[in-house]
Amino acid sequence: MSAEAGRFVLDGRRLPYEPGDTVAIAIVRAGEHPKYGGTLCLAGDCGNCVAEVDGIAYVRTCQTPASDGLEVDRHPADGAPAWHEPQGEPAEIGVEREEADLVVIGAGRSGTAAAAEAKRAGRQVTQLEAAQGTEVVAVYAGPTLIARTPEGMLHIRAKEVVVATGAAEIQPVCPGSGLAGLLTARAAAKLQAAGVEMPNAVAIGPAPEGVPCTPLTGELVRFEGEGRVSAVVTLEDGAERTTSCGTVILNLGRSPRDVLSRMGADLPMSVIGSAAEAFPLPPAPTAGIVCACAGIGVDDLQGVWDRGFNELELVKRASLAGTGTCQGAACMPHVRAWIAARTGAAPEPFTARPASRQITLGEAGADVHLDAFRRTPLHGEHLAVGAQMDRFGGWWRPWNYGDHLAEYRAVREAVSLGDVSTLGKFVVAGPDAVEFLQRLYPTDVSTIRVGRSRYALLLNERGHVIDDGMICREADDRFVLTFTTGGAGNAEMWMRDWMETWGLNVLLLDRTMSLAAINVTGPRAAELLARVGLADPPRFLQHVHTELGGMPVHVMRLSFTGEASWEIHHPVDRSVDLWRALLEVGEELGIRPHGLQALFALRLEKGHVIIGMDTELDTTPRRLGMDWAVNMDKPFFIGRDALARTASLPDQRRLVGLTMAGDAPTEGTPIASRGEVLGHVTSSFASPALGQAVMLGWLKRAPFPDQVEVDGRTAAVTAPPFYDPEGLRARA
Amino acid sequence: MRAPEQLHGTRVVAAPAILDELAAWPEPSALPGGVTLLRLAADDLLMIHQGSVKAAWKGESSIQEKESGFVGWWLTPEELDHVVTHVDWPLPADRPALAQGLIAGVPAKLWLEEDRALLLCTAAYAHELEERL
Repeated sequence: MSAEAGRFVLDGRRLPYEPGDTVAIAIVRAGEHPKYGGTLCLAGDCGNCVAEVDGIAYVRTCQTPASDGLEVDRHPADGAPAWHEPQGEPAEIGVEREEADLVVIGAGRSGTAAAAEAKRAGRQVTQLEAAQGTEVVAVYAGPTLIARTPEGMLHIRAKEVVVATGAAEIQPVCPGSGLAGLLTARAAAKLQAAGVEMPNAVAIGPAPEGVPCTPLTGELVRFEGEGRVSAVVTLEDGAERTTSCGTVILNLGRSPRDVLSRMGADLPMSVIGSAAEAFPLPPAPTAGIVCACAGIGVDDLQGVWDRGFNELELVKRASLAGTGTCQGAACMPHVRAWIAARTGAAPEPFTARPASRQITLGEAGADVHLDAFRRTPLHGEHLAVGAQMDRFGGWWRPWNYGDHLAEYRAVREAVSLGDVSTLGKFVVAGPDAVEFLQRLYPTDVSTIRVGRSRYALLLNERGHVIDDGMICREADDRFVLTFTTGGAGNAEMWMRDWMETWGLNVLLLDRTMSLAAINVTGPRAAELLARVGLADPPRFLQHVHTELGGMPVHVMRLSFTGEASWEIHHPVDRSVDLWRALLEVGEELGIRPHGLQALFALRLEKGHVIIGMDTELDTTPRRLGMDWAVNMDKPFFIGRDALARTASLPDQRRLVGLTMAGDAPTEGTPIASRGEVLGHVTSSFASPALGQAVMLGWLKRAPFPDQVEVDGRTAAVTAPPFYDPEGLRARA
Repeated sequence: MRAPEQLHGTRVVAAPAILDELAAWPEPSALPGGVTLLRLAADDLLMIHQGSVKAAWKGESSIQEKESGFVGWWLTPEELDHVVTHVDWPLPADRPALAQGLIAGVPAKLWLEEDRALLLCTAAYAHELEERL
């Protein structure tokens, strides 16, 4: 605190303060109120002194030492504080981490005694006290305590925690409780000690020792006054009595400061002293503001109660009482008493969640990181040619390189490269590898010959499609599997779960981030491969391990774009070399890379689905029209029982192809028939090759019509693929 | 944080008992020169080395693949102290030891020796880790 008197700024005016003053005390000393009105506790428990301090809103001025030049702006009496545009980069808030044996929160009588006793017992004790600058604001599993300190944030992992945070004083709830001049007993004692005058003070409840005031008898009814209290009305023997006054000191009882202990209910945490005491609840309020932070009155509580929210947690959620800056410290005893008056029993306090006190977003976010998105080794190459990058499936991927239609044409007419490094890539090997994959996939893996590959769906036990990819057989007991970019992580967990469940002798290695992959696609792709030394590339659905320029590569022939395509899997640290070599050699062939925007269009023309985009959580192969990918002659595979059971049932859902003239509608557009919505479009593209819009979409009501309305236009229902239905180009 | 160095090695997936034997080379000095063994999982071993090293045994199946998907930083004790400020889980007390988890919110690993440490992650995450540290 300041050693000498000085001046700070309140609402643009310079105001004096005395040594040791908090901002709130200095404001009261000047005859004003930090929030224009409301009972002051000066203990940090309520929200009645919050103001903007040095640009930060909702700061408790009773916990803020006054200092020279400090800028304090009161919040508007009604409405939210003013918004300030950020000025430059906010200062980074540091985090200190500590390990502790025993943490005692609170340095009052019981906390100090508990700490001393633990030290005598040989424990290593850390004591945290808000008044000394270290305020615990959150408790998490561990237990881990989050505290705010003058230097930043402190994260302490403790073996055990003792909460000795004492008790808060009960605030009044009655008409006029928003006036200035109302003080709790402790606040009055603090002001008295600070030499602040409290003119014409009266006390309701036991008068604080050493504070000049006139004690009143009777029950509190209301306060009267304009801005500041001028009279208090009490009820005694059935009669109201009005007493003129300039200050009202309220000693209405206490309630435990137990918000931290309620956050750590299942943790090794004990509560002692007043924080553990079962204080009596105040009388049920009948009028006035209950939650001053959120401006919630008794009428509001009654309103939500009448709508059927008849539990404390529901009353809180529906009315917002207890959700303000003090997190229920001031209002919860009153809300519990109000509910008890209706149910006959006081409800347990509502669940406490971090943070217990106002903290800034910077403090809350200190040392918190955003999700990390992966980059392929070609990230820099994409940026160098102007790629627009976006996040897909946990990776940064090129959405386009500035002209997605030119990229589309390069694939359809010449040759193009696609960075498909993000695909899931796994090696499965071992004596039981075939048995494992037979159980995992609905296709007959045993018929895949060495050097061949096959497209496969991955199903769950309910027969729903969860992913798809390729199965490449490398040896009798060794396979390479690919999965979708976004599905690879789940696919690995899925496989490991079943490996353990079945107890088969099979090994699994995730190569997703060890191998990069480049898709070489287009009618001139084979020519390009020949130019880089792969004169005899594998044929459709074949794959080989070979070398390109001394680099070990695994080349797979397949097709997602509808053109002849080879995926070249290779070590990530060699990917840039390969990419550049392919682009250089392909220049004469009209090569250009393509991004996801073009790829999504190309595959849509072929009717290839994207799992998670065209499928839903309960999509079966039948609904996709992909029964051909399921071999029901196999005695077992995951999902077989469910497919067998549902095969004979009528199905109301079908993913269909749609074509119509004109522009492509927005994905998600409803599909209707005779005015009734039947489903929605999942993918759409105005195809230059076909001269019309092509779509995939769900019909969710049988019988399935031949024509529907999309975007106010007539669309024909058709079976994909739309482009090269015989697959001649892919196999060329 | 300075740029990481490319790590080269071999990834071996085999039955845990096999890898127990392989990982239990009695002394670091008994290892081929410059080889660091990291047991990523019960059935997954990463051997970091330059040049060719082949783990061989009879009668057991395994997957062995050259591994260049990791990058790393050999850290001085002072650098390790800095990295640890971004770790919100307890480090193992033993040395040597492998610790794995989020570091600055990025999946990463720490190989802790007596007088130095290797911080490593997959190359796909290297830029994030480098920026955050």
